[in-house]
Amino acid sequence: MYKGFLVDAELLKEDSHFKMGCTFCHRGNEAGGSRDSAHKGLVKRPSDNPEICGRCHAQVAGTYGKSLHYTTAGLKNGIRGRFSPAEAKLFDEKVFEASCRSCHASCGDCHVKGPPVSGISIGLVKGHKFVKKDEGKTCAFCHGGRVYPEFTGDYGGNPDVHYEKGMMCMDCHKKAELHGDGKGYSSKQEVKDRPACLNCHKIGEEKLLTTKIAHTTHRDKVTCYGCHSAAEYRQCLSCHLGTGASAKPGLVLGLNPRDKKTLTTLRLVPTVRDTFAKEGIAMEKFDALPNYWNSPVHNIRKRTDRTRSCDACHMDRSGFLKKEMLPENGSKANEGLIVTPRQINK
Amino acid sequence: MRKSRFSFAFLAAIFLLPAIVFAGNVDPLVSPDWLEKNLSNANVVIVDIRKVEEYKDGHIPNAINVFYNSWAITKDGLGNEIPADDDLIDLLGATGIKKDSTVVVVGKAEALVDRVNVTRVAWTLKYAGVENIAALNGGYDRWVAEKKGTSKEISRGKKVSYDGQFNKALVADKAYVMSRLGKATIVDVREVPFYVGEKKLDFVAKPGHIKGAANLPSLQMFTKEGAFKSKEELAAMATPVVGADKGKEIIVYCDSGRVASAWWFILHEVLGYKDVRNYDGSAQDWTRDPAGPVEP
Repeated sequence: MYKGFLVDAELLKEDSHFKMGCTFCHRGNEAGGSRDSAHKGLVKRPSDNPEICGRCHAQVAGTYGKSLHYTTAGLKNGIRGRFSPAEAKLFDEKVFEASCRSCHASCGDCHVKGPPVSGISIGLVKGHKFVKKDEGKTCAFCHGGRVYPEFTGDYGGNPDVHYEKGMMCMDCHKKAELHGDGKGYSSKQEVKDRPACLNCHKIGEEKLLTTKIAHTTHRDKVTCYGCHSAAEYRQCLSCHLGTGASAKPGLVLGLNPRDKKTLTTLRLVPTVRDTFAKEGIAMEKFDALPNYWNSPVHNIRKRTDRTRSCDACHMDRSGFLKKEMLPENGSKANEGLIVTPRQINK
Repeated sequence: MRKSRFSFAFLAAIFLLPAIVFAGNVDPLVSPDWLEKNLSNANVVIVDIRKVEEYKDGHIPNAINVFYNSWAITKDGLGNEIPADDDLIDLLGATGIKKDSTVVVVGKAEALVDRVNVTRVAWTLKYAGVENIAALNGGYDRWVAEKKGTSKEISRGKKVSYDGQFNKALVADKAYVMSRLGKATIVDVREVPFYVGEKKLDFVAKPGHIKGAANLPSLQMFTKEGAFKSKEELAAMATPVVGADKGKEIIVYCDSGRVASAWWFILHEVLGYKDVRNYDGSAQDWTRDPAGPVEP
């Protein structure tokens, strides 16, 4: 059914990308007299290869090809610690390239057409217009399972205070972070110039003395999220188990598995022992990594139960990871994340 | 000459009075025409409760944006609860709303949930002590349909120290409803199949309605475009259920306290019933307690 042209005269006038003609990016044959002949050699997603965009945007395309959004190296390296060397090789060949790697974002996924997630896409962001950014349609779609609905309060029921004040993803996650700096990082943990609360909120500049004392006392012991994550967030279960994924809300506090000394918000990552059994990967070192990982939950509030009362942590211990909460047949490393806060003598 | 110039200015001011000076006593359901005339009225604060990205894509000029989820949060396992008083004070102060501001709430009109989000925010504002509240009848959809001007310029209120008096008498909790069984008029605003217990939402533990509650469904309040029907039509729906005595106590509820705000708004703000409370825990709260009597 005719629904209008994706590229019309108005768009041709206002967006300089179209001056080069369709084939500049999409290939095909402009002289073709029929649909079939015109579409011969057509490239549906030209920017899957950043070099196509790089002909005009050399600097950005040059760094983007090594960025984590494009390489998805974080996905590969995050799980690597569970594999023997032989299993890692098998994983790279059979799983990563065939599955995880399909999550890489092309230039067009953010600037033209929303990326496909599980085969579903929102389609073109604004007709075929090239947009600088439209976080609600692009970032929100790939990060829509956890981060974005937590940010808006659609999951957990408490919007992040930054969203409440009108901020969107790119107010903290700058262009340079998304496009990369030309280095091929193995995970986001290696990137030094990431958003940090303390970039804007300086310790020592608090208006209230009680706040100043609380921040000074807990500094380097508890992350900002540990106290300021407002509500329950999504904990994913059973994903990859073969029976379908499920999720439930929960606020989980425990030691950061990356340093084992800082209390922070943890999220259950749904890798189970037989996640890759079909591919012949038994995960010989499954217990080397925990099932919980430190999570920068995007539901920050100035006041939470923990900022309102010391008792929430030091008496009630609400939200703290306990042995009985650990997933059945989970990693033995989970127990190392359990921490019991010191009781306050009143 | 001097005198005649003064007289002209005085007459001009009188002429403009209905549109501007009396904004403090506005109709609780304002039209796009009225709002357009008051876009520059310093006492009128337009609060757009759509998502940030929707607001940034285009909004009523001078409107500030505070998304719905900031006005109704999840608390103690219950959805659509009022935020803590100190959080509300911060929110109102940051957006420049004062107790004597005239706040016009603007949302979407597409689905029932969009329409009642507007009244739910209006109820929360009134609870927090904002004296003059109104809703743009028909929402942003109607504003656009009537080809009124839009803007992409971000407006932020000038920060104030909010000092309104909270009006706790607009809220009913479970204990209060329990104490008023058989005394107050309790109104279930859900659709008939939910009222009679044929259907229920997943987060509601038991089907049926609070013992003794009358039924006044919400869907029928709206035109197909999403605006509220006329005052006369709404009165004709409400009076057989709640009676004509404007002093009688009424408690409205639904599943989570969001939809019920629409009838709260109409009864309290439009039709002049003096004592109307919203049970914001609603059926979600009532049915999870075995002590709460429910009947089909």
